[in-house]
Amino acid sequence: MHRQKGVLRAKTTENIKSWLIMLPGLILMTFFVWEPLFESVRMSMYKTRNVELVRFIGLDNFISVVGKDDFMQALANTFSYTFWSLLLGFALPVLLAILIGETRRSKGFFRTAVYLPNMLPGLAVIILWSAFFSGEKSGVLNILLGHVGVAPQTYLTRSDWVVPIIIIIATWKGAGATALIYMAGMASVSPELYEAAAIDGATVWQRIIHILLPSIKKLAGTLLILQIISVFQIMYEPMVLTKGGPDNASLSLMQLMWQYAFGGSMNYGKASAVAVIVTLILLVMTAIYSYFNRKESDWD
Amino acid sequence: MNKLAETVSLLLSLCLLLSACPSALAGSDEVIDANLTCTITLGNWPPDTAAQAEKDLFEGYRAIMARQYPNVTLIPDYYSYSLSNYVPMAKGGTAPSIFQPPFTDPQLLISQHLVGDVTDALEQFGVLDKFSSSYVEMLADENGRIYGLPRDGYVLGMHLNLNLFREAGLVDEDGMPIYPRTLQEMAEYGKIIREKTGKAGLVFPASETYGGWLFTNIAWNFGCVGESALEYQDEDGRWVCNFTSPECIAAMEFMRDLKWKYDILNVDATTTDWASAHTLLGTGEAAMNFAADDSVDQPTSNKGLPVEDFALIPFPAGDAGRYALAGGTCYMFAPNITPDQGVALMAYLKVIGKLPFLDEQIVAGMRADYAAKRDRGAPVIPAISAWNDEEYNAAKQAIVDEYSNVDMRLYADFFDSITDGTIALKSEEPVFAQQLYRELTAVIQRMITREGADVVKALRNAEESFQEYLDDEINDY
Amino acid sequence: MRTEQRTGVIRDYDMHSASVRIGYGFIVFCCCVMVVLAVFPLLWVVLAGFKDLKEFVSSTSLIPQSFSLKPFDTTWSQLGIAKNYLNSLIFVVGSVICALIFNGLLGYGIGILKPRGHKIVKRLVMLSLLMPTTISIVPLFMNIQNLGMGNSFAPLWLSYGANAMYVILFVQFFESLPVSIIEAGRIDGASQLQTFFHIVLPLSKPICAVISIFAVNAAWSDFLLPYLVLRGGNLQTVMVRLFVFSTEQTVNADTMMRSVVFSMIPPIILFFIFQKQLTENAVSVGIKG
Repeated sequence: MHRQKGVLRAKTTENIKSWLIMLPGLILMTFFVWEPLFESVRMSMYKTRNVELVRFIGLDNFISVVGKDDFMQALANTFSYTFWSLLLGFALPVLLAILIGETRRSKGFFRTAVYLPNMLPGLAVIILWSAFFSGEKSGVLNILLGHVGVAPQTYLTRSDWVVPIIIIIATWKGAGATALIYMAGMASVSPELYEAAAIDGATVWQRIIHILLPSIKKLAGTLLILQIISVFQIMYEPMVLTKGGPDNASLSLMQLMWQYAFGGSMNYGKASAVAVIVTLILLVMTAIYSYFNRKESDWD
Repeated sequence: MNKLAETVSLLLSLCLLLSACPSALAGSDEVIDANLTCTITLGNWPPDTAAQAEKDLFEGYRAIMARQYPNVTLIPDYYSYSLSNYVPMAKGGTAPSIFQPPFTDPQLLISQHLVGDVTDALEQFGVLDKFSSSYVEMLADENGRIYGLPRDGYVLGMHLNLNLFREAGLVDEDGMPIYPRTLQEMAEYGKIIREKTGKAGLVFPASETYGGWLFTNIAWNFGCVGESALEYQDEDGRWVCNFTSPECIAAMEFMRDLKWKYDILNVDATTTDWASAHTLLGTGEAAMNFAADDSVDQPTSNKGLPVEDFALIPFPAGDAGRYALAGGTCYMFAPNITPDQGVALMAYLKVIGKLPFLDEQIVAGMRADYAAKRDRGAPVIPAISAWNDEEYNAAKQAIVDEYSNVDMRLYADFFDSITDGTIALKSEEPVFAQQLYRELTAVIQRMITREGADVVKALRNAEESFQEYLDDEINDY
Repeated sequence: MRTEQRTGVIRDYDMHSASVRIGYGFIVFCCCVMVVLAVFPLLWVVLAGFKDLKEFVSSTSLIPQSFSLKPFDTTWSQLGIAKNYLNSLIFVVGSVICALIFNGLLGYGIGILKPRGHKIVKRLVMLSLLMPTTISIVPLFMNIQNLGMGNSFAPLWLSYGANAMYVILFVQFFESLPVSIIEAGRIDGASQLQTFFHIVLPLSKPICAVISIFAVNAAWSDFLLPYLVLRGGNLQTVMVRLFVFSTEQTVNADTMMRSVVFSMIPPIILFFIFQKQLTENAVSVGIKG
């Protein structure tokens, strides 16, 4: 009895000490992440005059924001970004990983080379690529096309091209790094397994389909959801490259949020409403994902 | 009519000023006020990237201030104003003491109490009644308190790259450009230039808000004024926007034709911003650019076009109007400035020659400015004064003439059209101009990226959207 | 050198088949194309840096007319980039230290100490990963101003001590550590903090290396919050300058490209020094997620 009490007390002091150790991190998380987020949610339900909250208006900001054409356009664009990102950016790293994984020489060199763009600052990458997609004759792609006899094209003025172009740039930067993650996942397959399959007469192609790809299934699921989350927050890429144009064809939801806040109207209430909507969409998607993966995930 | 009366009153006020404030014409080396002790941060200081001559000029101003007001500390704090980054700074108390917003923003800033009051300081310097009433209106609140000073006025016209005009044969026997007087001629000449040189006839920066900004001027010349104005206040005082008047539709159809009928625009119009428009004209990739008299240094000294290959012409007229957008930037001040800081700031503005005083130090400053401009290959041309002070303006012109490095015939029509009234000056649309520009830019982008786009439908959508914005932000506030 | 067994689907004896050999040739070809695609834009931007404005805007040649280093020298000195490099360095070092200490301690609490109620924190941190951080930049900036920390590196450093991603990486790593070693330490009477610094941290070199690399890269590339906090002062970092150039249109396009080159040099150097850690360790951490 007495012993138990002692254990209990020790346990309590230990708990307190543990919380003390976590305290600095918790304070920082509160200051930099949680409190500002909470503040944003609060702001989304207020009529604001720059950063001051004027009066509580419930869901009016949401109704007003959602009812506008540019929101629908931005929502559609954001799904378009997601679509292209999955089309171009999801399969490509897997392909890269398989290709590099199969090389028998200079593997390290290939890994290094494809990882390199990932180290570069995102802003610098966008500025660099803007020169590639310039529609002038001096645009890099136009110069290259000129060498094979194709007339100069315009790129960023085409409303159905801008989203894929921005995704291509993002993929150029990120695909190599993702490929290396897949390679690490693929390395978990024991080479004996391939040997055995080969002896059983499985072709290279069959081995890829039946052994290699299943080995990265779970990993691919995780990377998929991470990719969707990050592409949903796409903002400064279209901001710097196209300013959301032409005719809002590349306007993303987060960029719309930025426009409400900093685009001349200083409407932080509506800006927050957009951000809250984005957050809700992400939460729903994550919930769906973890529902389908509930057996494997230990995080909830 | 009462020019005489005006002059007399000016002279009177000048006399009053001289007696009231003897230090106003003091030499630059004399101490004016050793007791004034404060620190001011200067957002109008040239950026690190500015030409050395310009930086030296400001160092010179700083030295003068140090002699006149030994206890005023000047902290250079280059700040490129934008509404988005200004608001948090003003709220957080880190705004520079002085900064330069465009004339579209002062009323917004004043109504939200984000800028400082300098009325008393202005009175102390005796210049309160000298700037034109339109500026007073723009820079004061309803009680007549003043929150800003005009910095430089500008009038929109058109920049020409004469090399391309020559190449296209658009010059007369004197070598003067045959330039477009009307928007229709602009389209036709642009087509000739495109065909003869392969370069863009017109660079049209249609990104973000620039496109809408330039478009308002085109729309005015198509008749979008008065009853057909793009935005107006109805009898109930509600703001109403009107993008679907026949005039506005015609103007937008003209924009569409510039791309699909005449094909005179630069290829990447939708991502072209102000700076890249100047770059294209300055490097000979485009022949015409809607731009103002205050940015003539951009294509020339900044982007490398020799001054003899550059001209400035009036904004082309339309069938229903000859307007040119007039505006500019002003100086405004941090919301938390003290009275002492207010005085120090006015003293600083006086030193850099932005108050209507002409003493040796200011004349010297102007000379230095024009000399610097000439040295770096920027056209030295008269500035459009924001001050209603004829003597001051005339004296300024005389100094400009001394340093002139251009053939004024290439600028004459521009300036004459303003003075003789063949062009009517018009300031920007009164409320939420930036948002209006944004809406119109989107329509323009649609027109020039989709052949056969529906003008009326696009304008109606933009109108609905902007009306909703007006309702939210003013009508139902 | 053949001691290690080959990885990969294609086995040695497959190479006897002609079709596999052709396929393999194709794979190598594809890899070479990838290398070109990855490296060409970088080579191009360096070449573009040699051009002046007129040439940059008008020339249809990828190769500059002259290879004089003068334009780079002019841009470097005219824009005073050395100062920005130093600022970036200070920013990056402080950020890495904060990232390791604060996220590490929080991760230690969640992953090893597990006091009563730690699950709530864990869930909050997980949820934070999903939240778009940009909207909260306004209230965050106001908080920073209200505490009088504007125009200093401190708030930026500390912001790296509040990174949900790093916390989760730490937690995952700590949870994989053998419990027995940690408990052995505890039985010896070491306090929780002592355990962290003497037992956990030494075991955690791989994760610390990885998070350092992530933080270095993130801090070097960061520009939104630094732009707001460091504006106007003498503390501007390289990326803040680049952002200012891209929004304020005060530099010409050719100078812009040289600034891009300058902004890329340090990460590239870092990359070549640490390429092994980057392409191997960083990746194997990611895989556990």
